[in-house]
Amino acid sequence: MANAYLAEIKAEIFKLARMPEFAIPTLILPVMFFTLFGVIIPGSRDNAPYLLSTFGVFAVMGPALFGFGAGVAQERERGWLTLKRAVPAPAAALLVAKTTATIVIASVSLAAIYAVAAFAAGVELPALVWLGLLLVHVISAIPFVLLGLALGFVFGANAAVAVANIAYLGMAVLGGLWMPISVFPKIMGQIAQFLPSYHLAEIALGVSGAAGEKAVLGHIVATLVITAIAAGLALLAWARQR
Amino acid sequence: MTASPDFAPPILKADALTRRFGRKTALDGINLTVSDTGVLALLGPNGAGKTTFVQTALGLVRPSHGELRVLGAKPGQQSVKTRIGVMMQDTDLAHTLTGRELLELFASYYPDPADLEALIDRCALGDFIKRRYGQLSGGQKRRIQFALALVGQPDLLFLDEPTTGLDTEARRALWAIVRDVAANGTLVVLTTHYLEEADALADRVIVLKDGQVIADDTADGLRTRMGGAVIDCVTGLTDDALRSIEGLISLNRSGRKVRLQVSEAVPALKSLFELDPDLSDLGVAQPTLEDAFGALTRPSESQGA
Ligand SMILES: Nc1ncnc2c1ncn2[C@@H]1O[C@H](COP(=O)(O)OP(=O)(O)OP(=O)(O)O)[C@@H](O)[C@H]1O
Ligand SMILES: [Mg+2]
Repeated sequence: MANAYLAEIKAEIFKLARMPEFAIPTLILPVMFFTLFGVIIPGSRDNAPYLLSTFGVFAVMGPALFGFGAGVAQERERGWLTLKRAVPAPAAALLVAKTTATIVIASVSLAAIYAVAAFAAGVELPALVWLGLLLVHVISAIPFVLLGLALGFVFGANAAVAVANIAYLGMAVLGGLWMPISVFPKIMGQIAQFLPSYHLAEIALGVSGAAGEKAVLGHIVATLVITAIAAGLALLAWARQR
Repeated sequence: MTASPDFAPPILKADALTRRFGRKTALDGINLTVSDTGVLALLGPNGAGKTTFVQTALGLVRPSHGELRVLGAKPGQQSVKTRIGVMMQDTDLAHTLTGRELLELFASYYPDPADLEALIDRCALGDFIKRRYGQLSGGQKRRIQFALALVGQPDLLFLDEPTTGLDTEARRALWAIVRDVAANGTLVVLTTHYLEEADALADRVIVLKDGQVIADDTADGLRTRMGGAVIDCVTGLTDDALRSIEGLISLNRSGRKVRLQVSEAVPALKSLFELDPDLSDLGVAQPTLEDAFGALTRPSESQGA
């Protein structure tokens, strides 16, 4: 059965990597924007430590929302998930495999951003802080994966792609991943309170210290609450379609 | 008639198995016991409940009433699923994986999977096993799905319209494998609309209509039960005139072409010639499984006598 988990993970990584329509934008976009906003635009290097923290969250969000949101919706419509229920695939294997595949693909994107930050933008951080940042970014996958899963069970294949796109860009901009939400009108700052992207970015900023001292406890609690809600939604949507 | 010392439970046992979808009753009080391995053909017109039966046995659909036990257990349990292979009627597999990758994935689910190279060879997938599933033709996709159904070396194999979309050669090849698997101690439950297929393979034929079992016999038994002969001819006689023919069981027409099912050929032919000495294009044949099936499932108003 351990074998089944490995085989499932392998299959999911192949599937994600072979969806060029999702893989390319979700892999290239984060590092491209980071390079633009953090290296190329004159004077932008000062922003690099800040953007490193927030773009890490952005990099993880893409594969999670698209792999799960669009991927699950498509597989559900095609009857692939029904077949999986008829064969003795371990019940948790699919979730574990898809989450792992998401993290593997996101890691490629993260590695590229970290490399640009360290070598091109001149961001210098203690090893322990790099590690902490990596941890926060990888864990970010969990709430997005759950949201993606709920999305995949609620929407049909075509709608899921559209909704995933809106969620992807919406949560990036309104969560302050591209620029601090303090530059936006106040109302938008209030929307951010409901977005996992915002709270995760704040936690990442707390770890990197790129925006000065930050109290992260509130953001951790908010992230946990949002994750629990997303898990509930995913579970509900999954139970409803059975 | 000695009691069997073997207390193994039946492979399939349905007790008043009923499934409703809203107002539609897809399975209507089915009672059925299958203890022998071999090929069981599940026939019936569109919407008869064949797929619903298969999906109930797989644990995908829950009965509204009654019960279905599979290999002595409740459907859907992991211990049961490891002994079952399935080819569903309409499933699309992951387009971006190759046939081989799909086989490897499914092989990992089973405790005692088949040797993959041997399976690829047996199912003649060599030409396209390395290509992505999404790029295969319809028939090639079905053949990959068939191999996936076999990969766990199942004791019970469900094939829901396995040969739809296959060319003649691929169909014959699939038949040979089904025969082989059934001869080696597997129960193969096969649904099909090709009567020829049921005739060629089935040890037992179950005909469903509106969710009920309307016949349960061997293919030969069904034909014999039909009895008599099938008469084809071209005649100007009306249906009413034809109904007076001796031993008429059923009557089917398209224009002036008529097909009569009769209990005995000679008396029927005599009365037919008396009624219409000018009839032409006469043909007399043994009823086929197709005729037997047609007589069973045809709406009652078109039946004669
Ligand atoms: N999920 C469902 N929701 C609603 N009705 C359903 C569902 N599944 C099956 N039915 C209905 O139940 C009846 C039996 O369907 P089923 O698919 O079992 O027929 P079948 O014998 O397999 O037909 P076919 O030869 O066309 O494959 C049909 O009237 C169908 O419309
Ligand atoms: Mg069917």
